[in-house]
Amino acid sequence: MKGAYELTVQNKRIHYQFTIKRNITVIRGDSATGKTTLLEMIETYSQNGISSGIDLKCTVPCIVLHGGDWKQRLSYTHNSIVFIDECNDFIRREEFASEVKRSDNYFVIVTRDDLPNLSYSVEEIYGIRMSKQYAGLKKTYNEFYQIYG
Amino acid sequence: MLKVYLGDMEGEVYNPPVYFDNQYEDEWITDEFAEKMISDIDKSTVVSPHIIESPFLGAITPKELSGGVKTLILMKYDDSGNIFNATACGDNCAKWILKIAESKDLTVTLHHGMRFGEGPYEIMIMNTGKIVHNRQEWLDVVFDYV
Repeated sequence: MKGAYELTVQNKRIHYQFTIKRNITVIRGDSATGKTTLLEMIETYSQNGISSGIDLKCTVPCIVLHGGDWKQRLSYTHNSIVFIDECNDFIRREEFASEVKRSDNYFVIVTRDDLPNLSYSVEEIYGIRMSKQYAGLKKTYNEFYQIYG
Repeated sequence: MLKVYLGDMEGEVYNPPVYFDNQYEDEWITDEFAEKMISDIDKSTVVSPHIIESPFLGAITPKELSGGVKTLILMKYDDSGNIFNATACGDNCAKWILKIAESKDLTVTLHHGMRFGEGPYEIMIMNTGKIVHNRQEWLDVVFDYV
């Protein structure tokens, strides 16, 4: 995959909007900013589609990768954005890094760990924050911000 | 005292939020100390052992608490002897880790350079046995290991 991909994920209460620009994006930051909630919404949508009540807009498929079968799932995932939540220890393995290097997917990895086996831009390390533009509305609007920008 | 092992440790609970989902006890959630942590980190209010009111998510169960708060609750109440990965906690949890360690010997692992603030505090680096007391002493050692 090449280029940037805009994603919008929302339900009745929460709205996320952000752009993924490179093959590896890292999300980190304080606890309780909505990182895991974002991934849970993406996974629920990928399993249930519009029946989930979640609205996900992106021009490529989005999936959430976790657990012991990560390598098998990755082997049949192409031209997609692959999200991985924190505390999945496989992301630190060389085996994972080599799979990423030869993959045609983009990866969005939630982690505070250093990932010495993966090369990614410091500009692609983001946190999640509530958008000031929509502050005060009943629905919570979230956006990415560059941590080292 | 807080004892920190920097890097991988054999037998550590690397994914505390999953451990929490399968091991938490109702009494932990309604304890005053846990209620304060949930209020501070998740901005949420404990209604009962099974219901927490979140301003963002509505009524949730303890399983929908943030990974950071789940890990803090384990550090405070779990008496299994397991060592939890504090990298599941954001920097906004650091002051609570120090508070928990005021009343018990707390051993955790860390895989990143958590910001504990300026200090003073006492953190034993288990890799070396050295005790650090402030931000500068912490920074002098932490990035040798993570």
